[in-house]
Amino acid sequence: MAIIKRAEARAYLTPLVGFLLLFLGFPAVINLIYSVSTVDFQTLRSPTLSGFGNYLAVLADRDFWRATSFSLRFGILTAMIECLLGLFLAIFLAPLLSKRSALMAPLMLPLMVAPAMIGLMYRLVLHEFAGPVPYYLFMWFGDSPAFLDASHALWTLIVVETLQWTPFAFLLFYMAYVAVPIDVREAAALDGASAIKTLWFVELPLMLPTLVIAFFIRFIDGFRVFDNVYALTGSGAGGSTTSLSIYIYQAFFKEGAIGKAVAASVVLFLTSLIVLYGLNWLAGRRRREP
Amino acid sequence: MINALRWIVFAVAALAMNFPVIVTLVTSFKSARELSINPGLWINQPTFENYLRVLTQTDRFNIYSYLWNSTVASLIGTGLAILLAFPAAYAIARSEVGKHTLLPVVINLRAVPLIIFAIPLYMMYQFLGLLDTQLGLGLILTIVNTPLALVILVNAISDVPLELDEAARVDGASSWQIMVSITRPVVRPALVTTFIFGFITAWNEFLFGLMLTTNKAVPMTVGASFFFAASGGGVQWGTASAVMILGALPPVFLGLLMYRQISGSMTAGAIKG
Repeated sequence: MAIIKRAEARAYLTPLVGFLLLFLGFPAVINLIYSVSTVDFQTLRSPTLSGFGNYLAVLADRDFWRATSFSLRFGILTAMIECLLGLFLAIFLAPLLSKRSALMAPLMLPLMVAPAMIGLMYRLVLHEFAGPVPYYLFMWFGDSPAFLDASHALWTLIVVETLQWTPFAFLLFYMAYVAVPIDVREAAALDGASAIKTLWFVELPLMLPTLVIAFFIRFIDGFRVFDNVYALTGSGAGGSTTSLSIYIYQAFFKEGAIGKAVAASVVLFLTSLIVLYGLNWLAGRRRREP
Repeated sequence: MINALRWIVFAVAALAMNFPVIVTLVTSFKSARELSINPGLWINQPTFENYLRVLTQTDRFNIYSYLWNSTVASLIGTGLAILLAFPAAYAIARSEVGKHTLLPVVINLRAVPLIIFAIPLYMMYQFLGLLDTQLGLGLILTIVNTPLALVILVNAISDVPLELDEAARVDGASSWQIMVSITRPVVRPALVTTFIFGFITAWNEFLFGLMLTTNKAVPMTVGASFFFAASGGGVQWGTASAVMILGALPPVFLGLLMYRQISGSMTAGAIKG
């Protein structure tokens, strides 16, 4: 029996729904209209419908595909590395952390710092003259790579992103690991399973749903990356670090190509819907198969 | 033996993850002269001159304005998100309405690249005169905060025993009264967590600050980047570092204060969602 009436429940939901419709629904409609219109900053209020030219222009733009490729590689690589590192840290450090919870604080601190701020901080860390990393590399090895030029920027950014967000994956895995029921572990030990076997055949399978979810969250966040990449390289390095988010931002603000920017937004939106639909389908299937 | 190895791995991980913050902190205490000859991790003559310069030369640096804008916009973005999400969460937790459509849609919002809404919002703001205002930025931060606020509050309210509501109902309380004077005090810890977590998220937001503000309402994350756009003499690393530390301090302080609760809520959306 529901404790409140449907009409009341609807009334409680109305402010939130109204707000979302105004700030997300309305922009979504505008996006769709502008994406099939010819529009510039002068004709903002009177766009002329002109068909799918914007979409064709975006799909024919090499920079769009370059940005898509960067976002995909960046999202997949960072999610993989973050999950592997996070899983290792969670399992290896669990005996240490379960007794001294204060040790969690330094591992979580990076999550509290703005990604944009982290990007700026790495400008200092990697700076040729003021940064300690090149300084020590020069001192010890007599040479330091140009971390932010076109050939190294992808990996520099992957390391930056990974160092900031591995704590998130670690946190999820640590909670899942600690939540493995004690009797399951005891039963495995009673059957004579070694620690490695318990991990592989008992604990990891129990943590698998968390692994999948963490991977998807980190992939999506990596795929749509903006803040730290923009702050660190400003899409520099000859455009080799332009993510899709940065591509849209630049098309709009730097080139004033509203139609192109909006069409790219719609393409990105549809792509993320497909990914989300797939993820929900996976999660739903998991729930049905106990 | 293996325990010693654990300590080493912990120390390496903690150092590596916090490396940019450590470097920035160290640099912020170096004089310009020392910085030019010593970019290393050691300070020979620590000085507060960078902080003093940033905090006192108000005609050159707008740091108070950035801090104030971030504070106001984050407060709006967090307060409003809770005001909207709390009744909705109550309705979802205590009835079937919204459970199967609204809740999943809002949760998925967390994963949608927000840039896709940014361009129409920019135009809408231009039309409404909300560009470059604290209120305008706060309203967008509300959107950013809503998904997690809703998830945390739905989970918290679902954990409150129904008997509590039913007892109050028998005493003749309306559902509004139950929500405000029974449920709200019981889930106060979740509300506090939501607030702190939302404030951190809002403070750290960059994209909308960059797009929707230019001058009057510039938040800290965007303002800090101005110190790197210095023309001519290059970046003043000492002052830039002091600014970054000051800008990172509020969320880090709040985060460390509440890291236990926050670790639970951060994962709430992921595991129960």
